[in-house]
Amino acid sequence: MLDFLLGVAVVAAIYGILAISLNLQAGATGLLNFGLVGFFGIGAYATGISTMHGAPWPLGMAIGLVLAAAAGAAVGRLGRTLAAEYWAIATLALAELLRLVALNTDSLTRGPQGISAVPGFFSGLGPQSRDLAWLGLAALVLALCWWVSQRVTGAQFGRVLRLVREQPDLAASLGHDVVGAKVRVMAISAPMAALAGSLYTHYISFIGPGQLEPFATFLVWTMVVVGGLGNAFGVIAGAAIVQLLFDVTRFIDDVFDIPSENAGGLRILVVGAALLGFLYFRSGGLVPERLRRIDARS
Amino acid sequence: MPFRHAARRAVATAAVAALTVGLAACGSGDDSKSSAAQATPKVNPELKGQVTIGAVLPLTGASATIGKDQQRGIELAVDKINSGGGVLGKKLVVKVEDSEGQAASAVNAARKLVSVDKTPVVIGEYSSGNTIPIGQYLQQRKVVHINAGSSSPDIAKIGDFSFSVIGLDNIAGKFTAEKLVQAGYHKVAFLAPNNAYGTGLLKATRAALQQSGGQIVQSLLYTEGQSDYRQELQRLKSANADIVIYSAYGKEAATINKEAYQLGMDPRKFFGIYLTMCTTDSDPRAVDGQQGMDVNYIGPNGSAYKSAYEAKYGEGFRTSFSGYTYDAVTMAAKAINQAGSVDPAKIRDALATVGKRYEGVTGAISFDAHNQRSEQPYLIATMKDGKVSEEGEVRGPEA
Repeated sequence: MLDFLLGVAVVAAIYGILAISLNLQAGATGLLNFGLVGFFGIGAYATGISTMHGAPWPLGMAIGLVLAAAAGAAVGRLGRTLAAEYWAIATLALAELLRLVALNTDSLTRGPQGISAVPGFFSGLGPQSRDLAWLGLAALVLALCWWVSQRVTGAQFGRVLRLVREQPDLAASLGHDVVGAKVRVMAISAPMAALAGSLYTHYISFIGPGQLEPFATFLVWTMVVVGGLGNAFGVIAGAAIVQLLFDVTRFIDDVFDIPSENAGGLRILVVGAALLGFLYFRSGGLVPERLRRIDARS
Repeated sequence: MPFRHAARRAVATAAVAALTVGLAACGSGDDSKSSAAQATPKVNPELKGQVTIGAVLPLTGASATIGKDQQRGIELAVDKINSGGGVLGKKLVVKVEDSEGQAASAVNAARKLVSVDKTPVVIGEYSSGNTIPIGQYLQQRKVVHINAGSSSPDIAKIGDFSFSVIGLDNIAGKFTAEKLVQAGYHKVAFLAPNNAYGTGLLKATRAALQQSGGQIVQSLLYTEGQSDYRQELQRLKSANADIVIYSAYGKEAATINKEAYQLGMDPRKFFGIYLTMCTTDSDPRAVDGQQGMDVNYIGPNGSAYKSAYEAKYGEGFRTSFSGYTYDAVTMAAKAINQAGSVDPAKIRDALATVGKRYEGVTGAISFDAHNQRSEQPYLIATMKDGKVSEEGEVRGPEA
């Protein structure tokens, strides 16, 4: 049982990092990023491709972070010309574009076969201690991202972001650089998603285009919404709850006698119903965002 | 308009709706026919207690059609074993966990089977990207892994607890290429899904054709799940090849065959890799005279399997993958019986012995030094009046 729970916890922590990244964009700044999985993919593939060519892991991770920051800033700049809704659609399209490139450039990404046998960390340890080490690492990175996120939203810059979210025209009229704020927040949060991608690839030791489907973006969106859009602590809780929900429902057919042909679909139905129920009873999320006093010092 | 009150609420609902609808769509398979006939053999009443092994399959997500068919193979094997002597005098139970077609979920599913259900054997998955991570995890935990759906050469490197009952990509492609060149086809067009299966097949077929003196004049990898394939078919048509080699899953193949027929392409100039899978849902007129190759389901073991499948599910094979999971379960059961225990290390040793020579429903199975299936017999078949019938050789272009 412990083995299973450790596995669930590591995956939940990796999703937690993605949730913090999305929360900085959507929760703090109001940037509806429907292409989050694209940044995840940049990190994952940078790690996959570099290790495939024998590069040490820090290099792959660093390349992923730099590329994601650059891509994030570029996507943030798109906000200069596109209104919020159109920007959201553009992000979805960009992530799909990346997935299609990953699917079709065999020579670089090994195409639909994906990159397998990516070396994992802690391979010298026994199974149990390796799982524990992984959980420690994932939790550490999660805590780091949470700290960065708190620094960003707690500072004066965070107030600008929230103003950009609520009243972009007012923010501009007060002399704030709206596009610059979007560019900066994207450049800070996109590498977090890339970091999650890199960790994921080392943990699962595989990355393929199937992992970059828009489904993954919506899964993180669900985590953020369930946890409470705008609250970094809430979205981590959301990631844990949604991941737990997916894995706890594996026990449904141990308890009830369900015709095997329906078991797979039924499990997903239960997950969906539980999530919708959650939204119905707690529409602000598990831990909703607090209203802050305008003159509050962090 | 404040973002908080309107847009945010709308986005929240939309995101969750997109997630659940997307998953539910994947989850609801086409079970329309499965309740047509329930010809399940009775469980032997003398079996006391149970032995549980596990399987991780893509029951939802993009590969759900294949995963559910793999599950059918498992059910048929369990029926067969439990109507006889069972395993160690006990009832065999195979716990099937959903991988959602995602690597992380697949590994968590395997973790559940190993650490909660304590299964000594885990079968899975379909795509190599999920099979390899599962295999690596099982190897660490010293639990027997049986791959019954993936054909990536990397699987051979997992370790001594990992077995494959499915042949590698190159065997099917090589067989097809050689048979076609022998029969006098040299210019070949190729159509397969743009996934690991399709690209692996294309690579193997192209290499084998080049070796035997043929060539691929047009190769197309199509995106799965389209409602229309005319664009691809037009390009195949204008390539003027001697024959079109194709491979597609049931429903998609039906659309492809129908549209090819409407475009006036001659079904006799199509060659299906895994012909049963390519034609099972198709209109018989659209595929009449089509040739192809398939796993040996018409041999002495295979034909009984084919009729058991049809009796239980009221339709022909939906994909060509159910036979492999069937063989995986029956081989595992035999190995457990031989080992006389459910200790994974003992089962591993017994399975290696069983795999020296095993008559499976997918033909003879024998493992190489890396516990991978080294031979895979295929046969040539044609479609006649909606039925697959075995042929000695490929019909030449002039016939």
